[in-house]
Amino acid sequence: MNIQNIQEKLSEVLKQSVFLARTAGAAVVSRVRWFAFTPKGRRIATGLALAGTVFMVASSPPITLVEPGQLGIRMNLVTGNASELREGWALLVPQVHRLHLYSLKDQVYRPERSIHANGPAPFQSAEGLSIGIEVTLRYALDPARISALATSMPEDVGQEIVEPVIDGVLRRHFAQHTVREIFATQRREIQKAITDEITPMLAKDGVILRSVTLGNVDLPQQYRTGVESLLAEELSAEKMRYTLELKEKQIKETALHAEADKVRREKAAEASAAEEIIAAKARAEAMRHILPFKEKEIEQRRLEAEAAKVSRLTQASAEADARRIEAEGEADARRKLAESDAYRLEVTGKASSEQLARESELITKNPLLIQKTLADKLSDKIQVIIAPPQAGGFIAGNLLGQAAPSPRHANTMGSNRSGARHSNSSEYGSESGDGSEDAQSQEE
Amino acid sequence: MLAAAILTVALVVQDQAPLRASPQDAAPRQATLWQGEWLEVRGERQGFLQVYDHRRERPGYIRQQQVRVYPLDETSVPQLQAVVDFLRDTPGAEALGIGYTAALLRAANSSQVGPELFDAMGTLAERLAKRASSRKSNDEALAAHLDVASSYGVKLLTIEQEGRTRLCYDGEAFRRVLGLGGSPEARLRAALALTRPECIDPALLQVERQALDEWRAAVLEQVDTAQLPAWQANRLHLRRAEVYAALAYQWARRGEAQRGARASERSVEELARVLKSELAEEDRSAYAVAAVRVAASRWASVPAPEQPGSSPGLELTQGKPGETCLRLVDAKTPGTSLAAHCTYGLVWPSSIRRSPQGTVVTVAVQLLEGWTELWVFHQEGDGWLLDALSPATMDPGVGYVELAGFTPDGSRVLVAREALVEGKVKSSFQVLKRETLLPEKTAERPDDSGTFKRWSTADWRSRTLAVR
Repeated sequence: MNIQNIQEKLSEVLKQSVFLARTAGAAVVSRVRWFAFTPKGRRIATGLALAGTVFMVASSPPITLVEPGQLGIRMNLVTGNASELREGWALLVPQVHRLHLYSLKDQVYRPERSIHANGPAPFQSAEGLSIGIEVTLRYALDPARISALATSMPEDVGQEIVEPVIDGVLRRHFAQHTVREIFATQRREIQKAITDEITPMLAKDGVILRSVTLGNVDLPQQYRTGVESLLAEELSAEKMRYTLELKEKQIKETALHAEADKVRREKAAEASAAEEIIAAKARAEAMRHILPFKEKEIEQRRLEAEAAKVSRLTQASAEADARRIEAEGEADARRKLAESDAYRLEVTGKASSEQLARESELITKNPLLIQKTLADKLSDKIQVIIAPPQAGGFIAGNLLGQAAPSPRHANTMGSNRSGARHSNSSEYGSESGDGSEDAQSQEE
Repeated sequence: MLAAAILTVALVVQDQAPLRASPQDAAPRQATLWQGEWLEVRGERQGFLQVYDHRRERPGYIRQQQVRVYPLDETSVPQLQAVVDFLRDTPGAEALGIGYTAALLRAANSSQVGPELFDAMGTLAERLAKRASSRKSNDEALAAHLDVASSYGVKLLTIEQEGRTRLCYDGEAFRRVLGLGGSPEARLRAALALTRPECIDPALLQVERQALDEWRAAVLEQVDTAQLPAWQANRLHLRRAEVYAALAYQWARRGEAQRGARASERSVEELARVLKSELAEEDRSAYAVAAVRVAASRWASVPAPEQPGSSPGLELTQGKPGETCLRLVDAKTPGTSLAAHCTYGLVWPSSIRRSPQGTVVTVAVQLLEGWTELWVFHQEGDGWLLDALSPATMDPGVGYVELAGFTPDGSRVLVAREALVEGKVKSSFQVLKRETLLPEKTAERPDDSGTFKRWSTADWRSRTLAVR
């Protein structure tokens, strides 16, 4: 039942629609006729045409400016052709041409959502830790390929091509490395690997990758502390290594300086030595000039010495001879002297003995002669008294030291200092021969 | 030297003063002290001072009469100064003087320390060195005094010279005098003491010797002669003349001919500045020595005469390093060498002279700093002979020979020789035979020989330093 009703209603609706379409067609035809054949209709039509044209021009201007740093791709909607437009004014036929403007300037993409470890979309490391990395990519459209790819290239290349590609690559790469590698040790390698992978991928889509920069790495706080201390240790180790290298370099530098100094000193020493040698040679030369004179002088002295020697020898010989002669003469003289002494002694002795004999004879004849002689010998200040001889001795026995066997003796009075040290015999002997004995006796 | 904590010191004023173990004359002798030594006073007992000898690190007692006690502060400065002034010129009390000067330096504050103090110190040290170097010295206390002086930092250097040892003061105090200023006399004393030629180590190398001479010249330039009495200025002029004469040779030797010429001119000028009438008796020998040294290198500043064309000429060429080759060439036949000889001495081109006949050519060759020979090329027969005339027949030292002229017939050569022989300058003016170059006549003065007086050239008379 219901189906029949529905079919009936549909047929009614269809009939009414056909009727309405005919009516509308008749009305349009009548209007066109009205516009074409009546002045009013033509004015209205002209007015509408003008208004439409103005609207079209306003809505899609036929002249557009392509700014510097932009590239325009003009698509012909009728033919499907595309042409490049550089900076300047471009003519566009409304509803025929469509212009796509692409910036040729470098553009930067920085995934903001992955900057912080606790952000909405952090990267994951090989350990499964969430880390935030400040990645900056700089890219630009390849002007040579824009026209070729214009038909398939989206309006927003960054959002629709670059970002998805980069995002995937970054996540995959970071997931292959540990935090430490990303943070410090392999940052450069990672950066290079990302660049190497992204560049061909974007190049297919007419995008040139200028650079990929890994900036700040945001780690989970605890891990960050640990890593930082570790890195500090490494840094200190590294610092030590550099210090050691520096020291080594300093040592090398010192060695080089020392070497240079040594060479300089050696050169100076050589120069100095050369000067010394020259001075020494000059001195030797001066000495050489003097040596002949010195030799002559020495020879002269030698000759003089020899002459002096000969002279001295001759003189010594003469002196020796003279002394020998003198000695002989002296010996002869002494012999003669001794002989003459002996002769004199003999003669004197003979004379003395004769004298003694004569005196003895005289004394025998005149015994008082002794006293007289004694009195003569003594000083005239002494009084001499002839006294009779004492019994048993001579009065001057003290003086003479012994008693004389004379029958009479003389006695002395007054001051008498003499200690009676003279002997009789000598007294008698000397009395006649030696006057000095007398003087001595008187003195005493 | 003196520790900062010490306030009172006792300066020993007698030689061989005993340091006793206790305050009694019979007590054992700890040490024997000599004049100039200082002791720290720590007390007084029974007429003895209780002292500590820092040098020997030993305490003891010493009689008060044998020391003088001074507190080391500014109150003692006038007393110490007076004693230093007295001792400064007292022979035999050098060690004591040095001790007093050191105490004065310690007691005085910085504003009171002037060049006079260092002048006194230097004078005393200098005299002590002279006393130690004296040949006649029979001084028992000398070794002890030297020891005392060295304990105060006075350095005496030992120099071996001609088989005997000489002590020389290193001149530290005199350097300070020159640095601080001081009176002209003090500066003169300092400069003369620092540049003493007898205190130069004979073992010095040539380069070192040149550096030393340059330093000596700089030191001598620091004294102004304008404010000095003439007899003292004479000493400075003599020393400068000697030093510049040495420099003239050394610079010329190193190829700096212009500097050498200037130094030679300066040495002649300094010698000319000496006023002979004001020359002190003890400086007369120094004057003669300076004149010989200056004359030995004065060819450096004499301009070369023009070359006559006819006579044989002498060409000088460079041989091995440091060597000069002389070649006698005949102007008539260029390219032929009449005689040639190479020498390591300095050949003075300005000294080339020829006899009127052209049979003798002479040139002065300086072989050492103060030793100049006269080389005589003389024609005998067809050949030429070269003979070198030395100043004296002794080890090369100080001396020179110079040509005074020729006799008109060219058969005699007149030369003047001067040399330092056994400490005295010996001058002789000789007439030599050309053939043998043996002296025919010798006179001590040029006027004593008639031939010499008659034929010596005006050129020589105007230039020579032998006639002073």
